[in-house]
Amino acid sequence: MWNLLAFENLTPLNWTNVLKALTILWQGLLAIFIVIGLIIIAVKLINGAINKIEKAKAEKAAQAEQETKTE
Amino acid sequence: MSFLYETIIQITPQHVAMWIIGGLLIYLAIKKDMEPALLLPMGFGAILVNIPMSPVIEDGGILKSLFQVGIEASEAMPLLLFIGIGAMIDFGPLLTNPKLFILGGAAQLGIFITIILATLIGFPLVDAASIGIIGAADGPTAILVSQILKSNYTAAIVVVAYSYMALVPIVQPAVVRLCTTKNERKIKMRYSAKQVPTLTRILFPVVVTVIAGLIAPDSLSLVGMLMFGNLIRECGVLKSLSETAQTTFANIITLLLGITIAFQMQADKFLQFETLIIMALGLFAFVFDTVGGVMCAKLMNLFSKEKINPMLGAAGISAFPMAARVVEKMGIKEDPSNHLLMHAVGANVSGQIASAIVGGLIIGLVL
Repeated sequence: MWNLLAFENLTPLNWTNVLKALTILWQGLLAIFIVIGLIIIAVKLINGAINKIEKAKAEKAAQAEQETKTE
Repeated sequence: MSFLYETIIQITPQHVAMWIIGGLLIYLAIKKDMEPALLLPMGFGAILVNIPMSPVIEDGGILKSLFQVGIEASEAMPLLLFIGIGAMIDFGPLLTNPKLFILGGAAQLGIFITIILATLIGFPLVDAASIGIIGAADGPTAILVSQILKSNYTAAIVVVAYSYMALVPIVQPAVVRLCTTKNERKIKMRYSAKQVPTLTRILFPVVVTVIAGLIAPDSLSLVGMLMFGNLIRECGVLKSLSETAQTTFANIITLLLGITIAFQMQADKFLQFETLIIMALGLFAFVFDTVGGVMCAKLMNLFSKEKINPMLGAAGISAFPMAARVVEKMGIKEDPSNHLLMHAVGANVSGQIASAIVGGLIIGLVL
C-alpha cells in the first residue's frame, strides 16, 4: 500500500546529520567562492596580458607606419 | 485463455496512479511547453515501466540495460549531455564582466540551505544532499549527484528539478520583488559590447577546468565535460564537431536520458510521502537560490562604485536561458529603456559553471 502516512524512512531532528549539513554549508560556500575568485583573477590576468600584447603590437605598427612616411 | 488477463489482474492502484502522473508530465510537456525534451520521455517512460510484467524493467530489458550502462555504471549520459551544453554556451558576456561570476556562486545558496532543511526533516544525509542539488537548477547535475550518492529518491528529484526549472518565470519574479525595492530594480547598467579576444575564449575552459579540478576534484567530471564542449565551440577549427555537439549529439543523449531515467519511476520507488516533501523542498531550494543571488548583488553594491542591478542575482541560477529572460523582462517592466539581458546572460552562464562545481563539492563533502 502507499506509504502516505509512514515516516519510517525519516528521522527528524537528527542533530548529527544537521551538524554535518552545516559543515557542508560553510565548506561548500567557502570552496565555491575560492574557485570563483581564482577564476576571476585568472580571467583578468589573461585579459590584461592580451591587451598589453595587442597594445604593443599596435604601437609597433604605428611606429613602423610613421617611419615609412618619414622615408 | 488466462494469458489474456494475467497482466490485467496484476494492475494495482499504484500503477494507475503512475499512469496518471506519466500522463500529467506528457500534458505539461506538450500543452504547457514545460521542458518537453525531458518531461515527455519521462512521462511516457513512467507509463511504460508501470505496466505489470513490463519486460523493459526486467533483467536484460531495454530500460534496465540503458540505466545500468548509461547512468549506474559511470553516469555517462548526463556527463555526455554536458558536452553538448558546453558547446551551446557563449561565455562572452561573462568574460567582459567577470565579477558576475560571484552572482553565479551566490545563487547556489539554496542548495545548501535545502540540505540543512532536509536533514532537519529527517532525510539521511545522502538523500538530503541529493534533494538539495535540485537547487542547482540543472538536470544532468541532479541526476549525477543523486546517482553517485545512491539516493533512494532519484526519480522524484529529477522530475522536481526539471519541473521547477520550467517554473522559473513564475517562481522568481515574486521572490525578486520581495527582496528588492523599486529603485533597486530600476538601476541601469551600461553594456559595452567589448570583443572578447579569441585567445581568452580558448584559455577560459582550460583554466576553469584546472582551477575547479585542483580545488574541487570531484567536480571534474561535470566541469570537465562542460568545458570540453565549450572548447570545441571556441577553438574555431572544429565547426562540424561543435555543431554536432550542440544539435544531434545533445538531442540523442537527451532523448535517451529522459526515457532511461523513467526506469526509476516505478510505483514502489516514486509513490512515497517523501515525494511530496521533495516537491516542497525543491521549491524552497529555488526560492533561496534567488534570495542568495539577489542579496549577494546588493552586498556587492555596498563596495562597488558601479552599481549592479540586484535582479541580476536571480539570473545566477543555472536555468539557462530562462532566468536571464526573466530578469530582462522584469528590468523592462520597471524601466522600458533598461535592457539587462547581456548582463543577465553573463550571470546565468556563470551559474552553469558554479552549479557543476557545487555538484562535485557536494559529492566530495558527503562521501
